[in-house]
Amino acid sequence: MVSDDVLRTHLQELRRGTVVVASLVALRHPDYGYALLQRLTAHGFPVDANTLYPLLRRLEEQGLLTSEWNTEESRPRKFYRTSGDGETVLGRLLDDLAAVQTSVTGLIEGVER
Amino acid sequence: MTSLTDRYLAATLRTVPAPRRTELADELRASIADMIEGRTAAGQDTAVAEREVLTELGHPDRLAARYADRPLQLIGPTYYLVWSSLLRRLLTLIPALVGVVVGVLEATVGDQPHRAIGAGIAAAFQAAVQIAFWVTVIFAVLERTRTPLDLPEWNVDQLPEAPLERDVTLTDTCASIAFLLLTLAFLPWQHYRSWVSDANGDNLPILDPALWTSWLPVLAAVLVASIGLEIVKYRAGRWTWPLVAVNAALGLAFALPVGYLVLADRLLNPALADRFEWLREGDNQGLSAGLVGVVVAAITIWDIADSVVKARRHHR
Repeated sequence: MVSDDVLRTHLQELRRGTVVVASLVALRHPDYGYALLQRLTAHGFPVDANTLYPLLRRLEEQGLLTSEWNTEESRPRKFYRTSGDGETVLGRLLDDLAAVQTSVTGLIEGVER
Repeated sequence: MTSLTDRYLAATLRTVPAPRRTELADELRASIADMIEGRTAAGQDTAVAEREVLTELGHPDRLAARYADRPLQLIGPTYYLVWSSLLRRLLTLIPALVGVVVGVLEATVGDQPHRAIGAGIAAAFQAAVQIAFWVTVIFAVLERTRTPLDLPEWNVDQLPEAPLERDVTLTDTCASIAFLLLTLAFLPWQHYRSWVSDANGDNLPILDPALWTSWLPVLAAVLVASIGLEIVKYRAGRWTWPLVAVNAALGLAFALPVGYLVLADRLLNPALADRFEWLREGDNQGLSAGLVGVVVAAITIWDIADSVVKARRHHR
């Protein structure tokens, strides 16, 4: 019987990089931190606020996101959007994700045969 | 009034680099307000919601470290192995060296030779603490500045020889070192707090105090060197011929002076013979000296023979 801790660690490892992919996809439509958090959660990417907020700033520093302050609503919010560079990186990441999926499928079928 | 949110923001932003502070404050404040609003919209009390949101965001320093991309460890995996091997190398040699040098100086130049062992141990300990502290500080700084070390990559030629079988066990080594340390401690102890007292009830050293300026420092140095030999022997895992030679040299360096002093009747404190009548009767003192000499010789010969046998067994 595998302990919950072990399982949780492996799931975390597996999920770690997908938050970046999900954020880059989701931010093709500009959004602010909390709204993005809710969208990601709703789409099956549960992520902690204290992970996502610093991540957004880091992606912005790397030039993968651009940001803009929106002062039209009740409180000023910082909106992020996937940049051109971000789109390029996202393309590579999605290709790799697909490649991983293909490889896993191939491996499973190979083993079953 | 300062709200919990204000206090949380202040605590988080304290350690964030100044240029980004204002913008980050605005963004984080808006995010916290959004999170609280999300909970109150679901019918939760504002004060409870605020507490829960801040709890969810976690320790301010941890959040700040994530924003600033700072390490939350003193020395991370990039530097840890270099740090630990450097520290091991420095600590195996330098403190012992410093201790011996200080001890020898205290024994020869200083005016209180019986303090030499204590002074040596204290100096060795000081040196070890200083080395550990400064090396660690330097690596903690490297970790934070992310300075590349440009050390040569590890390669297979650096692999140590696999010890086929271990002749020297950790238990043996610890026991030997403990025995050597006790013998070493006996030297100052018998001087200050022996179990013998003179006619006035004052402490009476067992060994001749005059020896502190001649043979005792030598014997102490041999004991310290023997501890070093035990450590080297443990790392080698078995007896090698150089180790046998060093062991024989150290054994003789201890046994010959002791034998000589015992037979020349110079080892014991002369005041001791005055105190105990039995030592003066007939040839009692001569007989005991002979007995001690034989025992010392037997132990030394046994020790040397044992090392030779074990070394031969391996080289056959």
